[in-house]
Formats: sequence, structure tokens, C-alpha cells
Amino acid sequence: MRKVNQKAWFFVLPVLILVAFNALVPMMTVVNYSVQETFGNNQFFWHGLGWFQDILRSERFHAALGRQFLFTFLILIIEVPLGVIIALSMPRKGFWVPVCLVTMALPMLIPWNVVGAMWNIFTLPDIGLLGYFMNHVLGIDYNMTRSPLAAWVTIITMDVWHWTSLVVLLCYAGLVSIPDAYYQAAKIDGASNWAVFRYIQLPKMKQVLTIAVLLRFMDSFNIYTEPFVLTGGGPGNSTTLLSIDLVKIALGQFDLGPAAAMSLIYFAITLFVSWLFYTLMTRHDVK
Amino acid sequence: MRLLTFLLTLMPLAATAQTAGWGNLGQTEDKGFSWTAPLWPSFWMAWTPATLLVFIGIFTAMGILTVLEIRRPGGDERQGVLGLTTTRGDRLFITLLGTSYIFMAWLGLIGMPLWWPLAISIGWGVFCFWKV
Repeated sequence: MRKVNQKAWFFVLPVLILVAFNALVPMMTVVNYSVQETFGNNQFFWHGLGWFQDILRSERFHAALGRQFLFTFLILIIEVPLGVIIALSMPRKGFWVPVCLVTMALPMLIPWNVVGAMWNIFTLPDIGLLGYFMNHVLGIDYNMTRSPLAAWVTIITMDVWHWTSLVVLLCYAGLVSIPDAYYQAAKIDGASNWAVFRYIQLPKMKQVLTIAVLLRFMDSFNIYTEPFVLTGGGPGNSTTLLSIDLVKIALGQFDLGPAAAMSLIYFAITLFVSWLFYTLMTRHDVK
Repeated sequence: MRLLTFLLTLMPLAATAQTAGWGNLGQTEDKGFSWTAPLWPSFWMAWTPATLLVFIGIFTAMGILTVLEIRRPGGDERQGVLGLTTTRGDRLFITLLGTSYIFMAWLGLIGMPLWWPLAISIGWGVFCFWKV
């Protein structure tokens, strides 16, 4: 057996300590909170797994979870194909490459809360560009503070605007890594555009698409700031996604126990779906 | 006046009684060790012996895996019945994740005594390390 020098692992140590303090310690604290009740003053009373039972059976949680899955499903089904299409239609060489790349990267440079605020102003019915256009030019009753449908359309559009670029950039990176020889071979064989996409481009993009889908799943499943700034979960509870509901319970009602239980359930769902995606999308590579 | 002097003489008595333990009336007695009592009451992480034990268990399992990996590198990779290629670490992960889902499903659908999901979870863990 070849002897491998494992000392390089010590370089990982700083990031391990960092992760311990910003993820592991809070996580353990959440586990502790989830089985106890507190009335503040740092005093805790044992409650067992009762909070988990309450949350798992609560209508409010089911509703928020349903909205969350709907949101994530909708943005994935829009952003991934759209991102692939945009990446395919971008130039591979020449002057327009940096122009396209920078334009694509721009939305991702904007902080989440600013995106929320921008879209809030953009869609205001009387002064916002989109809101005014919809209401006063097209005559469509569009008011995201009043109609749940308009609110949903707005948060989906906002997320697509903000994050499709991520899928585009990742797919583009996958596309430019394909050697020209593949395309030449396809041309000689007289392959159609679809065949080129299906048998050359898509397999080459698979790795990056896996990463893109995983990142978009996790980010959208944990999304908080943008919808919070844009709609605040309203109108009513129609856009109260899981994280918004969680913050309402934890900080609004100061129910630390139920909030901790809910965040652990939330975490288990994210973990499972991410694991499933990753396993399903990489299992054929191993063989 | 006589009543007042009487009450005044009582005051040191009341103070003595207070220090002797009457002031603890209605508070829970210290019963010694409890799995569910706060471990370090003034510390913000709110540890209890029970939750501490859970994490000690997980970290011990990871430690054992590390030792095994050093002794026999390669992670004992194999293809199991689910069609997944798993190492020891994967099997531990699947066991723990599955356990959390078994408990959540039982809590949500059936309810409190949790002996059955515990038994199912142990079975699931054995299955994972044996077949998956």
C-alpha cells in the first residue's frame, strides 16, 4: 500500500474551528432548546419531545411546509431549464463573452435585503415601474400587498431574476469545458442540435447541474430575507415560508422550544432532500 | 404596643427560620442527579445530561469510524441492497438520518410512548450496517 502524507489535513483545522463556532455550537444549542421550555432569564425546564409532536401535528407548520415546497418546486422548474437555455445561447468566444458574463453576474452581487426592497418599490401599484405599468397601462389588477396570487408571482419572479444567473454561470462553465472535437465529431455524424444537446452538452453539464440544483434547492428552501422584505409573509399568511414562520415563532412569540424543534425538523428535511439529490445524481458515476 | 413588641421579638426568629430553610418552601428539592435537569444552570447552551449523552454518542461513533479508517483504510466500500455504494460513514449517516425520520413519523402519526420507534431505529441501524 502506498503511504500517503496526511499532514495536509491540519490545514483544514482553522475552518473546522470556524464551522464549530458558527454552526456546530449553535446547532447543539438548538437541540438543547428543542427539548426544553423557557420563560427567559436563562432558566430551562425539561419538556421532552413534546414540541416535536406539537409541530409535526400543527396545521400552521403543514401549511408553511406546503408553501415552502411549492415555492422551491416552482423556482427550480423555472430556473434550471431557463438557466440551461440562456447558457446554451451565450457566445463561447469573442467580445460579447465578458459582457454577457458580467451582465449575468450582476443580480447576484446585490444583497438579499436590497433585492427585496428593489422589487418592493418596483411593484408598487402607483409609483413602481412594473406596478404602474400593470395597473394603469395594461389595466391588470396587480397589487402584491393585497392579492396572494400577485404576491406569489412577485416572489417567484424576484427569485428567478436573482438566481437564474447562478444556474447560467455554472452551466456555462460546464459548456466551455467541452473540447471542440466533440462538436466536430457530431457534425461529421450529422447529429441534430437536439442530439448534440442530449448526448454531448447535457452529460458534460451534469456535474455542474447537480451542484446548481443542490445550491438552488438549499438556498430556496432556506430563503428568508427577500420574501420577508418584499411581502413580510403576507397578504395574510399566503407567502409565509418556513423560515419566516420560524422567525415569527422564535423571535416574535419567543417560543424557543417549539422554534428549536421546528428548525430541527426543517434541517432534517433539507438534509434528506439534499442527500437524495446528490445520491441519485451521482450514483451512476461510480459504476 | 404589647403586640408590637411581641411581633418585634418574632422578627429575628423569622429571619433564623428563613435561613434554616423555610424560605425554600414550594421550591423543588435537590434530588441529586437527574437526566433532564439543567447541567450547568447559568450557561447559555442549556445542556442537560440527556442531550449531552446524545452528542457524546454521535461523536463517539465518529471517533470509532476514524479509528477504523486508520486501521483499515478505504471505508469498507461496497454496494448494498439499495443499489447505493456506501462506506462506513455513509451507513452511519443513513442510520442517523433514518432514525430521526422514524421518530418524527411516529411522533406525528401515532404519539408518545417512543419504545416502538426506538426498536425500529435499532433495527434500521443494524440493517444499514449489515446490508446497505
